[in-house]
Amino acid sequence: MTAGALFLIFVALATLTAGQILLKLALADDGPSKGMTKRRRVWIFAAGIFGMTISFFVNLGLLQKLDLSQVFPFQGLSVLVVTLLASFFLKEKLTLPLIVGTLLITAGVMLVSAN
Amino acid sequence: MSSDLPPRRSVFWHPFTQVGLCILSGTASEVLLKKGALGTANLPSAIPWLGLTGLNSGWTWLSIVFTLLGFFSWMSAIRVLPLGVAFPLTNAVQVLVPLSCWYFLGEAINPLRWCGIALVVAGLSVVARTYANLDARL
Repeated sequence: MTAGALFLIFVALATLTAGQILLKLALADDGPSKGMTKRRRVWIFAAGIFGMTISFFVNLGLLQKLDLSQVFPFQGLSVLVVTLLASFFLKEKLTLPLIVGTLLITAGVMLVSAN
Repeated sequence: MSSDLPPRRSVFWHPFTQVGLCILSGTASEVLLKKGALGTANLPSAIPWLGLTGLNSGWTWLSIVFTLLGFFSWMSAIRVLPLGVAFPLTNAVQVLVPLSCWYFLGEAINPLRWCGIALVVAGLSVVARTYANLDARL
């Protein structure tokens, strides 16, 4: 796998993660979303959709050049990033089973993506 | 006595069901996307790394339909569930996609990948315990 492909996988991951955080922020009623105006929610939701759209097309470009079973497992790394960032930005509770489970999934994903 | 409890959701709209639908839609979407990408990989494009030529394939559009279905399920789920719990569970796709690629597209899975799949399944079962604890509150 080339450095360019790895960079694009990083872009797909970053935009996917940002999109997920923003969507949750726009849709939730509690935590940092509490009391948020409807107008602000619409903008955050739109930004989330934009991030996920970028991720979709970068992913599509990668799939034209690589095997799905090579590309897709890298996206699984987002589980670690999303869980940590959800705890940081959305103030979600990070429990021990969640940390252990997340690390197991991430390790499994690394093995699945090994070529 | 029960006036303080939230109203019960139907099985279909339960966030757990919606996460499951999201996982199945995501798997179908990824496999169809790969079929669409394979059929259009050699078409000329001004921005080749964006994969826009993939839109010339019906498989890609079908993939987009499944993506949208999965997206609506996902929105329904994360309105209620913490993102840090729901998102790890969607990694069941990490197991289903390689298995689907093996079954439908004929891609090989080596022993190392089988080990990875087993680890992901173990991780999912641990996270599912957190999920099960949440169920009592939903």
